[in-house]
Amino acid sequence: MLRASLISLWLPALIAFPISVSAQEAATTQELYAMTQGQNVAGQNQDRCITQMAEFPTDDPTARYQFFKLVSDVGYGADSQTTALFNHYGQPAVEAGTPVLSVIEDIANPVLRQAAPEMIVSSMNYLVDFAEACDVYIRGQTESLTAFDASLTNPELNTAIAEDALFLRQILSESLSRLGADTDPSWAGAAMAYSNSLVSQRDAVEFAAFETDIAEIETLFMDDLDGRLARSNDVINSEMDREILGDAITLSDDMNKAAREKAKQERLYRLLRIFGGGG
Amino acid sequence: MIKQLLFASSLLALGAVTTGCASTAKGVKTSAVNASAPSEKLRANVPDGGVLAVIRYPAIVEASAKDAYHKAYAKRAIGGSTGRGVTNTIETVAVADSTVVKSNYFALSLYKELAAKLPEHSVLLSPHTIKLGPGGELTSEPLTAAEDLPAVVSIDFATYSFPDSKKMMGDVPLTFGDLITPLVTVRTDHRAAAPTQGVLMASKPLVSRAAAEGRETALETIDAMQRGNLDPVIPELDFVSYITNDTPQKVSVQKLETRSDTNATMVLPVEKIRVPTSEMTLLKGASDGRVDPLDDIYTDALSSRIVALINGLDTDKAIMMGKAASVAEFDPSLAALTFVGSDKADYAARAAYAERLLDAQRKYLSVQSLRIFDGIHNGELGAQVRDMISAEHKVLEERRKLARQQNMATMLAIASVAGGIATGAGGSNCRNSQTQAEYNRCVRNQRTRSAASSAMIQAGIFSATEAYSKAQLSQQVGTNYLNSIVPALDQQTTVTVDLLDSNETITAIRYEDLQAKLQTLYSSRQRSLDTVATQCAYLGADGAKRGTWLGVCDGGLANGSGAGVLETGSDVMEYYGYARDGLANGPGLMIRHTPIGSVSYEGSFANGRPDGTVRVSQPGRADQTRNYVSGVDQGASSQKAASPFDGITGGAVN
Repeated sequence: MLRASLISLWLPALIAFPISVSAQEAATTQELYAMTQGQNVAGQNQDRCITQMAEFPTDDPTARYQFFKLVSDVGYGADSQTTALFNHYGQPAVEAGTPVLSVIEDIANPVLRQAAPEMIVSSMNYLVDFAEACDVYIRGQTESLTAFDASLTNPELNTAIAEDALFLRQILSESLSRLGADTDPSWAGAAMAYSNSLVSQRDAVEFAAFETDIAEIETLFMDDLDGRLARSNDVINSEMDREILGDAITLSDDMNKAAREKAKQERLYRLLRIFGGGG
Repeated sequence: MIKQLLFASSLLALGAVTTGCASTAKGVKTSAVNASAPSEKLRANVPDGGVLAVIRYPAIVEASAKDAYHKAYAKRAIGGSTGRGVTNTIETVAVADSTVVKSNYFALSLYKELAAKLPEHSVLLSPHTIKLGPGGELTSEPLTAAEDLPAVVSIDFATYSFPDSKKMMGDVPLTFGDLITPLVTVRTDHRAAAPTQGVLMASKPLVSRAAAEGRETALETIDAMQRGNLDPVIPELDFVSYITNDTPQKVSVQKLETRSDTNATMVLPVEKIRVPTSEMTLLKGASDGRVDPLDDIYTDALSSRIVALINGLDTDKAIMMGKAASVAEFDPSLAALTFVGSDKADYAARAAYAERLLDAQRKYLSVQSLRIFDGIHNGELGAQVRDMISAEHKVLEERRKLARQQNMATMLAIASVAGGIATGAGGSNCRNSQTQAEYNRCVRNQRTRSAASSAMIQAGIFSATEAYSKAQLSQQVGTNYLNSIVPALDQQTTVTVDLLDSNETITAIRYEDLQAKLQTLYSSRQRSLDTVATQCAYLGADGAKRGTWLGVCDGGLANGSGAGVLETGSDVMEYYGYARDGLANGPGLMIRHTPIGSVSYEGSFANGRPDGTVRVSQPGRADQTRNYVSGVDQGASSQKAASPFDGITGGAVN
């Protein structure tokens, strides 16, 4: 439900703000450094990435973060083997320069999913390719956005985005299955590897959700316990009567004083007895 | 004159016998623990699902156990023999009770220092109550759930005073005023240090008792496993084990080092450590717990040593049984698989959930420990203990002063009597005088010498009686204090009980709630396991069915990872690792317990026997890597022995 709600939240937002703006406006030093590191690939793909990122939301940091993070998560676990698999089953290929937003809309379209699984594969192929080729831009964007607004690192939000990505990847896995990839001896290995990566991502997403839930419970219980114990300690400590120790010490001092007096008197008596000839 | 001499001599003899040269209870300035204390930082991570350290200490004595405790305390003295009839005196009872009060307070100094050196939430406090067991025997039990979680090391801490208060100014152990005598044991699970029964370091009197407790705990867990349970066994405090005179167990020992490299327990001397005067002055005016008289002279260095000991341990091995027992509480089908783990995705996912759940419990219980520390150390209770220590210091200083006066008087007595005898003996026979005038002069001189000698002997008699009197007064001062302090000790005990009870009650109510919530979350979230742990037969190398296997089973026999136990007469064996057709097969850890000691074998196994490269750990010797063929030692090996805990299965399957 959360997955559906998030997708339904940002898709209209994207449509409502169709602006073609360079994603590099918000570039940070880190991002620029990252871009420098990936200069060759990024340099080659700069125009392509900018075109493909057209229509991305620009004035809502949350929607913008969701979008970049989703694209990044969709590319999780992809390698040359899976690219070859997608190239084989994804026909016809999505036209170069197609905005990513419309590609995602195609994947989310239930009619297309049923009628043309090969188009779903090609759309996902396009998306994964974009995530890989424009990784520097995407990463730069997510990092600068989280630097701008730390609340974007909220585990709940990120779990929801990861679940959306997982949803898109499951659609791809189902489409591959319907196209017979998992029974084709040539492609079964790659299809299986993709399925396994899907399972491990599902585990990671679910664990992240579990972690979020357990962290909430932890905080709630620990704060509550800490408060209760602190109050209880204060009450019990206030019952402590320090006079009892003071009285005990005074009594001990008095008894010692009396003992010293007695010893002093005995000393005088002994002195008299010994030196007075009594000894 | 002769009468006087005899009297003086007998008084001197009496003085010497009864008081001797009075000790001023100096103590040592530097503990052996502080000498060359390691400064290494923690290298290990907090193990998943466990804590690094638990500090156990006597905190309270149940009302029904008080009499037995006082008697046991008086009977089993450390550091000397007690005089007659010390059992029932008010002073002995006060000493025994103050041992609990002081242990309760000073254990927190170790907690503070250790917590500062280890990661957050990785140290727990486990206060114990001394009570009567089911058979009426004296024992101790933890008051909180801290020991329900697995810990890499557990530390028994107590401060001790000799039960006979008449001897407190002598060389006996004492925790009074500026003198503190700690008793410590540091142990790990025996699976991580089998040859020493897990005892890494211990105060001399406790070594053999700690080893006995370690062995008993090992055998009890094996018995439980034999019945198919992974129930944790929590040993009683070693201090209690000592005073109840439990059967000791021999163990290899060595002097204090950073770590033992010969599988021996390091021995700590029993020391009466003296707090510097400057620290005592600060303590006198301390309004809160920031002044700690023990940290600089002991607990800082002790905690550094504990960190070094943790660094030398395989933390996963140290907590594997405790972790399996904790996991068994909410996921029995996973528990025995956690001994050696698995690289399968379903196991990894489920284990991650289980570890996170234990982690939540760890953090929760750590809050309780922090609050126990705060409530006792920083509260009114701690303030009163500090006041009490200051008052004791005053008493001790008074007695030291009296002891110095006594020594001075004794010396004076000896000098006077000796001088008197010498002067008296210097006379000549006046009958030998040649003239009347010479005779008169001789008699006058003799009278003068006699008077001087008599005066010196009388002074000697006075000094001797003075020395005796000072000794008596010193004793009286000590007795007066111990008699007077009883109501304050009672109050401190009552408040400690209230505080710990309240802490545990509040924590337990919420802890149950937390566990229920975590269990629900766990059950609803984690995925199913392809392979689950069950119970089946584990076979000895001869192939006869005798033992129990908890882990992966097939056809009623051990087949995969898990743990097996086997008892053959007095020879008890436990095995953790991989098995095939009921027999140990693949990487494994086998521990054999015999009446003379315990030996571990970690490496490759085949058909129930060591086969291949195996690391052997024996008492009193450095670990050796040997090559085995079908259980027969073929000599030293230069290969690295396999371990079931490093994720390399060596072809064995889960």
